[in-house]
Amino acid sequence: SAMAPGKKITARIKRTLPVKGPQAPTLSELMRWYCLNTNTHGCRRIVVSRGRLRRFIWILLTLSAVGLILWQCALLLKSYYSASVSVTVQFQKLPFPAVTICNINPYKYSAMKDYLSELDKETKKALETFYGFSEGKSKVRRSVDEWNSTGSDFFQQIPLLKFEDFSNTATDLRSGQKRKIEGNVFHKDSSIVNSGDSNDIIGFQLCDANNSSECALYTFSSGVNAIQEWYKLHYMNIMAQIPLETKEKLSYSADDLLLTCFFDGLSCDKRHFTRFHHPLHGNCYIFNSGENGTILSTSTAGSEYGLQVVLYIDEADYNPFLVTSTGAKIIVHDQNEYPFIEDIGTEIETAVATSIGMHFTQSRKLSKPYSDCTETGADIPVENLYNKSYSLQICLHSCFQKAMVDSCGCAQYTQPLPAGAEYCNYKKNPNWSKYSNTSCIACASTARCQPHPSAAPSPVGTAVPQYFCVFFQDWMLRVLSWDKGQKLNKKLNKTDLANLMVFYKDLNERSISENPTNTIVTLLSNFGGQLGLWMSCSVVCVIEIVEVFFIDSLSIVMRHQWQKAKKWWNNRKAERSGKPPQAEDLERQGHDNPVCIDEDLPTFNTALRLPLPRDSPLPRTPPPNYSTLRLETAFKEQLPDTLDVGQR
Amino acid sequence: EGLIEFYDSFKDMFEFFCKNTTIHGTIRLVCSDSNRMKTAFWTLLLLASFGMLYWQFALMFSQYWAYPVVLTMSMHSEPKMFPAITICNLDPYRFELVSEHLIQLDQMAEESIAFLYGINTSASLFHMNEKNIHVKDLGNLSRSSFKLSPNFSLLRMSDHNNRSRNKHSSVGFRLCNATGGNCFYKTYSSGMDAILEWYRFHYMNIMSQLPVIINISDHTEHIEDMVYSCQYDGEPCRPGDYVHFHHPVFGSCYTFNSKGTDSFWTATKPGIPYGLSLILRAEQKDHIPLLSTVAGVKVMIHNHNQTPFLEHEGFDIRPGIATTIGIQQDEVNRLGGNYGKCTTNGNDVDVKLLYNNSYTLQACLHSCFQHIMIRKCGCGYYYYPLPPGAEYCDYNKQPAWGHCFYQLYSRLRNHHLNCFDQCPKPCRESLYKVSAGTAKWPSSKSQDWIRQALRHQNGYNSTSNRLDIAKVTIFYQQLNYQSVNESPLLSENLLLSSMGSQWSLWFGSSVLSVVEMFELLIDTLVLSLLFCYQRFRSKKT
Repeated sequence: SAMAPGKKITARIKRTLPVKGPQAPTLSELMRWYCLNTNTHGCRRIVVSRGRLRRFIWILLTLSAVGLILWQCALLLKSYYSASVSVTVQFQKLPFPAVTICNINPYKYSAMKDYLSELDKETKKALETFYGFSEGKSKVRRSVDEWNSTGSDFFQQIPLLKFEDFSNTATDLRSGQKRKIEGNVFHKDSSIVNSGDSNDIIGFQLCDANNSSECALYTFSSGVNAIQEWYKLHYMNIMAQIPLETKEKLSYSADDLLLTCFFDGLSCDKRHFTRFHHPLHGNCYIFNSGENGTILSTSTAGSEYGLQVVLYIDEADYNPFLVTSTGAKIIVHDQNEYPFIEDIGTEIETAVATSIGMHFTQSRKLSKPYSDCTETGADIPVENLYNKSYSLQICLHSCFQKAMVDSCGCAQYTQPLPAGAEYCNYKKNPNWSKYSNTSCIACASTARCQPHPSAAPSPVGTAVPQYFCVFFQDWMLRVLSWDKGQKLNKKLNKTDLANLMVFYKDLNERSISENPTNTIVTLLSNFGGQLGLWMSCSVVCVIEIVEVFFIDSLSIVMRHQWQKAKKWWNNRKAERSGKPPQAEDLERQGHDNPVCIDEDLPTFNTALRLPLPRDSPLPRTPPPNYSTLRLETAFKEQLPDTLDVGQR
Repeated sequence: EGLIEFYDSFKDMFEFFCKNTTIHGTIRLVCSDSNRMKTAFWTLLLLASFGMLYWQFALMFSQYWAYPVVLTMSMHSEPKMFPAITICNLDPYRFELVSEHLIQLDQMAEESIAFLYGINTSASLFHMNEKNIHVKDLGNLSRSSFKLSPNFSLLRMSDHNNRSRNKHSSVGFRLCNATGGNCFYKTYSSGMDAILEWYRFHYMNIMSQLPVIINISDHTEHIEDMVYSCQYDGEPCRPGDYVHFHHPVFGSCYTFNSKGTDSFWTATKPGIPYGLSLILRAEQKDHIPLLSTVAGVKVMIHNHNQTPFLEHEGFDIRPGIATTIGIQQDEVNRLGGNYGKCTTNGNDVDVKLLYNNSYTLQACLHSCFQHIMIRKCGCGYYYYPLPPGAEYCDYNKQPAWGHCFYQLYSRLRNHHLNCFDQCPKPCRESLYKVSAGTAKWPSSKSQDWIRQALRHQNGYNSTSNRLDIAKVTIFYQQLNYQSVNESPLLSENLLLSSMGSQWSLWFGSSVLSVVEMFELLIDTLVLSLLFCYQRFRSKKT
């Protein structure tokens, strides 16, 4: 009743508040309490063991058990994101893959004459000057109506050069005059295959249009390569200016290329093929492209039931400088994939039958965080220029094209156009070629491209051609000639024909898929195992540890600080008022300190330990409940009363 | 409180243990005193759970000690090195030192063929090629007194089995041991195989006359006689990029990128334009016509620092054809150790490797065979390298080596020699899957200018229309490679976890409880010792 109203309220709050203070007033008491009462093994022993050595050993053991638990759990966590592979094989009807077929020669040479006459003339002249090569047959050149011939000054700009002995002079092919070559030479290492006596090296020079001193020099290990590269450079420039519709007309039609077609034992025709214009290979035809929504499938394996086509390869109409090999190029791919004919196409030979046996393998990888692969390619910073599903090759090419547009201002002819860009040509971008071979290659880094998870089934073609000696017999040639004869009046030669068979070797679908090895359940049960093994600990004991070691300890420390501050404040007040501080108050600490107990409600332990009279001798703490502390005089004399204590 | 304190009595100790132990069952067992039924019940329970626990432990350990592995597959896409490529022209040298013997051998072969098949067949077989290879170092070596042995002549044997109506005849030659006994015929159903084998056998004897190390570096043949153009990733190859060696069967061989350390050969992009492109001369020069009947070029794709075993893994390139070879790399990593037999670098293998390149199974098998051959037959097989101190077989010195060799070789093939046990697989293997496409090259339209250009620049000197050039392109089909890794199904980590789970389930105790038991045991020992000592002292006094 004598209490101030403020104090009354705090007392009331304290009484009704369900939260009690920690189990002990000091940290060491708290630890002792914890060790006696916890279910975790080892801790109790620290407290109850007799002798300092035993205690020390138990502390060491407990700590090492904790350490082991942490280490093992860390190992478990580390191996959490691992995947195991399961391979399943099932037998079923399989979808047939898309088969893209191209003639190696992109456009009919006879039809291209108008566009290429200038370039061919130039090339022939180069061959004549450098190698003394001349076509014996037709010296008389037809006068070709000049096609928009801006080319001629451009041939002057990038002529073929003959370098002499790596000196700085070169002979110009066109004028025959010597020029001084400046600029850094690319590929300047003397090639291994140049024999010592003929020291002429053929190459060309690409200069920056604005700054003619900045030149790059290209030399090649063989004249064959040099002429082909030089030809290709000009060829691409010319082709970039021709519209797509014209190019499609210049190339082979489906009737030109495909003579016969069989699929799954039934006849098929050009309606099963989809035209696709490839910048380097002209018109290509995709069998079973899935464009009209249906994908053919086979229910029988073996070469009889796959795709069988006879291709007409008109060798006479080949461009002699652009392509040097005769045949067709094919690629087996999934309907969603872009056919990279120029990169990974398989060449097939004329006059023999090539059979390609396939296995169907479907592989599926787990994406992040198990491995570094992308599900759709949408999370990759490279824009997909092809409207096909993501693959590493698509990413690389798109990446290169982007770098090309950024640094040169125009796009390379062999790859699709990004939005707002156009193909490089000399008229508009006179110095594109300087970059095309150098800086952009460095730009296209593979680092950003992640492997394709191959969610779609990818038929893996093992393209090992099997040769049947003379496949095209005479009667076949006659029949085929008659079929074809309506348009073409000449007899087919067997070197103009190629036979291709693409089929499933077996109809087993192998699917290789990755599965996570660990689930959260196994991880938790493994954690439980580790905790149980070393310390017989559980989640409850982990919570207990958190409670005791963090919350309770913190509150004890805070309380101590609070008491100190309060005492300091009181002392200061007392000093001001002139009273000397009480020395006894300073010495009292822990539960002996009446100040300490005053503030909180007494806990069970503290309630037992009421302050002793001031003049009383030791012990200041009442004897605890353990037999250990009493048995200081072990082995000297067996006292009957100690046994009683132990029995209690 | 002292440093070490002990209990006053056993009773005291057990009381303490009972009160403080953490093993659940034991508390009930020992401490539920004065109730027999309860004690018995708890004893049974404790024993049962003990049994269960150890049964489970046994299951777990038997599984662990079987060392099961699980396969993990991972896809890598980091840029890597182009593999090493070895090409050989299938045209072994005709060394001057042995050319006389080779001529004799050719004559002998002609005679045998005439003997076997009649005179008219043999005439056109050989055109004597007089171009001999003179190696400088060998000039001072005197011609040895080597003589071709007539003892191993080719014979036709008709089948003794008269019951079969078709008359089989086989061709072969006879091999006997040193005393002339234990003879057997090395026969083939086709005469061609027999002649080739017979020729090879004599050829080995002749070639063993040559010194082991032949310095061919200053030799007249250069790479430009075989490789007309070499480009990698659009750039010409450089002079230091290849290693030249001579193989007694495959002739002049060049290995590109044999070390795999030069950044020039890093594969940056997949596809034909970024691969290795070669224009090769694939002419059959017929220095030694009966040694191999194949025209073209032998190509092998292998790992860096690896001896190419062309006879096992090489493939042939046809002349007049452009061959594009797509490669895909697969990597296999084995765990080794308890999980399976494999070796990381071959140092722990009993067989001393005779090839000073990195370990491969094939190199180990060859070395193993050569060691056995030297032990059993006293001389080394010519096609394999020699260990120090040994010499190659020669029937003038060891007349019975053929007998010994063919028997050993068939035993090796039938796995009767323990070479396959001694040679483990390497722990890390790169496998190259190869697929090829071919096209006619050069095309009829372009061949004129191509031939002219080659003639002018590379000293190509063929005017005929014979197909004698070939083009090879070797490229990565895809840069990302799959690696198959073995990893333990049951690691120590998981084993401990499941042990802990079992322990907790049946016993509710932990490792620390076991330590408590140990403590009890030690205490008992010490106490009994102490009491004994006390009694001893009290008796004395």
